[in-house]
Amino acid sequence: MRRTGRALGSLAMLLTSAAALADVEFYQRADRNEVGLDDTFRLTIVVSDAPDSSNLQFPSSNDFEILSKSQSSQMSYQLGGGASGVLKRTQKYVLLMRANRTGDLTLPPSVLTIHAKSYRTEPVRITVKKGHLQDPRAGAQRGSSFPDPFRRFPFPSVPGFDDEEDSLPDVDVPRSESDLFLRASLDRDEVYVGDQTTLSIHIFSRVDLSSVDAVTMPKLDGFWSEDLESPSQLTGEQKVINGIPYRAYLLKRRALFPVKPGTAKIGSAEADITTGFLFAGRRVHRVGNELSLKVKPLPPGAPPNFSAANVGRWRISTEVAQGQLQLGQPASVKVILEGKGNLKNIVLPSLSGPASLRIYDPTTSDKMANSKGKVGGRRTQEYLVMAQQTGSFTLPPLSFPFFNPETGRYEVVKTEPLTLTVLPGPEGSNLLAQGPSGAKPDGVSAKNVLAAGGLRPLRYQAHFTQARPPLWQRRFFVPALLAPIGAWLAIALIGFVRARLTEEDETSLKRKQARAARRRLAAAEKLKLAGKPAAFFGEVEKALIQFLEAKLGGPLAGLTRDALDARLHAAGASEDRRMEILRVLEACDLGRFAPGADPSSAGAGSGDPSTALRYARGERGADSASSPYARGEREARERVLDSAAAAMEGWESR
Amino acid sequence: MIAALILATVLSQDYYTPQEAQAVYKQANEAYDREDYASAKQGYQQLLAHGFEGADVLFNLGTTCLASGDLGEAVLYLERARRAAGGAADIDANLVLARARQLDQVVGGAEEPFLQRLVIATSSEIAAWSLLVSWVGGGALLLLYRFLRPGRRAWAGVLAALLLVSAVPAGLLVAAHAYVRETVSEGVIVAKTLAARELPADSAKVSFEVHAGLKVRLLESAGRFVKVRLPNGLEAWAERDGVAEI
Repeated sequence: MRRTGRALGSLAMLLTSAAALADVEFYQRADRNEVGLDDTFRLTIVVSDAPDSSNLQFPSSNDFEILSKSQSSQMSYQLGGGASGVLKRTQKYVLLMRANRTGDLTLPPSVLTIHAKSYRTEPVRITVKKGHLQDPRAGAQRGSSFPDPFRRFPFPSVPGFDDEEDSLPDVDVPRSESDLFLRASLDRDEVYVGDQTTLSIHIFSRVDLSSVDAVTMPKLDGFWSEDLESPSQLTGEQKVINGIPYRAYLLKRRALFPVKPGTAKIGSAEADITTGFLFAGRRVHRVGNELSLKVKPLPPGAPPNFSAANVGRWRISTEVAQGQLQLGQPASVKVILEGKGNLKNIVLPSLSGPASLRIYDPTTSDKMANSKGKVGGRRTQEYLVMAQQTGSFTLPPLSFPFFNPETGRYEVVKTEPLTLTVLPGPEGSNLLAQGPSGAKPDGVSAKNVLAAGGLRPLRYQAHFTQARPPLWQRRFFVPALLAPIGAWLAIALIGFVRARLTEEDETSLKRKQARAARRRLAAAEKLKLAGKPAAFFGEVEKALIQFLEAKLGGPLAGLTRDALDARLHAAGASEDRRMEILRVLEACDLGRFAPGADPSSAGAGSGDPSTALRYARGERGADSASSPYARGEREARERVLDSAAAAMEGWESR
Repeated sequence: MIAALILATVLSQDYYTPQEAQAVYKQANEAYDREDYASAKQGYQQLLAHGFEGADVLFNLGTTCLASGDLGEAVLYLERARRAAGGAADIDANLVLARARQLDQVVGGAEEPFLQRLVIATSSEIAAWSLLVSWVGGGALLLLYRFLRPGRRAWAGVLAALLLVSAVPAGLLVAAHAYVRETVSEGVIVAKTLAARELPADSAKVSFEVHAGLKVRLLESAGRFVKVRLPNGLEAWAERDGVAEI
């Protein structure tokens, strides 16, 4: 970069009108914020690029009186990238003032009127106390290592000029190269991490400069830096150092933001400078001084969601283009952060909203605004929000926590919540527009659209379970499944065993039948006394037949007497035995079917003369002296019963 | 603040009572509501670590992971919730959302085999209990039929027949569950990006790359690697750490 050291005065005059059109810089500041009633203070009002026709009104208040006024102006011309240049004229007014009463007073703003348009400065708050207060700046001035006669140059009678923050730094003159040297300076020696300090690099010269051919900036490791000023033209200011007048030329001014705590070192800047003119020119190389900066860490107690880069003074706001929109129509929501600090490193909170609103990634735009050597500006994040359904939705407020190095505390600024009202889609309105006389046609009324999609909500109630193996792997499952089969098998087995255990041979069966026959005979004996002859004889006959079946093995009921006799014969029964049995059976038949007949006559009609004869000779013969009925039926039954019992016993004893 | 302290105290305990578990669950839900997904995840994971499981906790954890953009864990826990619940509409809906955000698109054969779909759609507990009740009940009624007098036992016979017949499909379903459980092992890619290689070695050639949220079948393992099969049949070896078994 090449810089020329001569002001192009004539060209500057030609471009005065262009300068008048440039932006006006207008501010005021007091040199003290706390004064005594016996003290004076200085109010400096700076106006840049104001046309000659402008009108400046100083602050007017009964609380203050103006003791004196002074005015100065400075012009500089900078060549831009194109053919035209920019002429900048700065006017400074310094008012020497005094307060009339004690208290927290406010000095009203100054007003600058340009073509019926008014510009106002910020008011200045000043605390006034009784008596005299020590001027804090006086000590610093007294402590200066060397007096600076240039402080009042070129307006020695005007106080206040040397109070400007861009005033030249105090410098030590090197022993060699004392007529031309390079110096770097910082406006602050101690800052917080992320806070701004300004690095300025000047050339101090007692000789005429032709140009600065190359400037090598020091390495700025550990800093985030932002260029503030890089003049394309050398503009010199007078400065007297140790009684020797110098001209000071600003080469670079950069804002530095340290990124880590500790002591930061800044190396030396270097420059190649050409002095003299034309053939008398001489090129020299100069190396500047090193600097160190103490960087303090941010204090503890940061609020939640604080990002370490958020240092400065900020305010946040949101804007929505239209709070009411139709379904399908996007809404533009802007999140705006503005203030002072390292804007490019700032982390803005993200906009969030209910699931019914789809929020797309934002577009970010930065507008840097460096004021009075302080970096700052405005960051705008524009979100496109598309509603998924109709209704009224609220975008929650955004919080932006930051560290304010001026107060040394964390602060949180917030936005207001935004409400978006989403109306039904445009198809409804189109249809409405076609309706006659604006009436709402049937069936096309606006609908509350509830589109599916989005995350399903959490489950509010919890039913806790423990991880367990599946049911079929638990111990009881297989035995439980096999239980029915086991039960069936067990029952079958029990039946089989029981059948085996209850199995009987023929002998025992016959014995059982014989016992049953005897029991039956015993039962018949009870019938004998009951006066039921038919039943009695029936039982006796059944008992005897059952007994014989048991002994002979096989059914005998229904056989004729001959057939029975043959079976008895075949079974080896003696004739007497056979006759006895047949006789009893005959008597039973008579007793059952001819109750009026004399059972003792049984055997007479049997066809077997011997049997009948024997029967008549036996029992009957003994009773023949009396009438058959005289012996009574009872006796007859007793005889039959005895005969049957005798037949059974005789068989057993056979 | 007080609630956060209480939550921190409860979370640090080794044992939760059911009331404490419910409190942790509620706190985690509230953390989700204020979009503090990290705290919500921590709460649900503590419940799981202390044995308080179930479809509700798994679903909420999966949904929280999905909301916080952790796709791999979201699919993992939602799949586990689906297995625990035997299928539910909200689980399926969030799984569909998770898969829509997934980076991988598997071309061809994306549908699961019938048996797996059947197993996912049914509850193994219900199937096993159905089998047990119908089989044992049918057997008991059959025994009763044997001991009842003729003419008064027809109802027992009919009921026994119905139960024993219904035991057949229940038994087949239980068999399907047991088969899938024993033979099919599935996992979800939880690493953001995972290289799938031809052989189980770091130096082996990369066959393809998979990303968080993809559901794969785990075939076999060798050292640090596990062989995965994609739904379309693609197979390769991936690092075990990048895959979580469902």
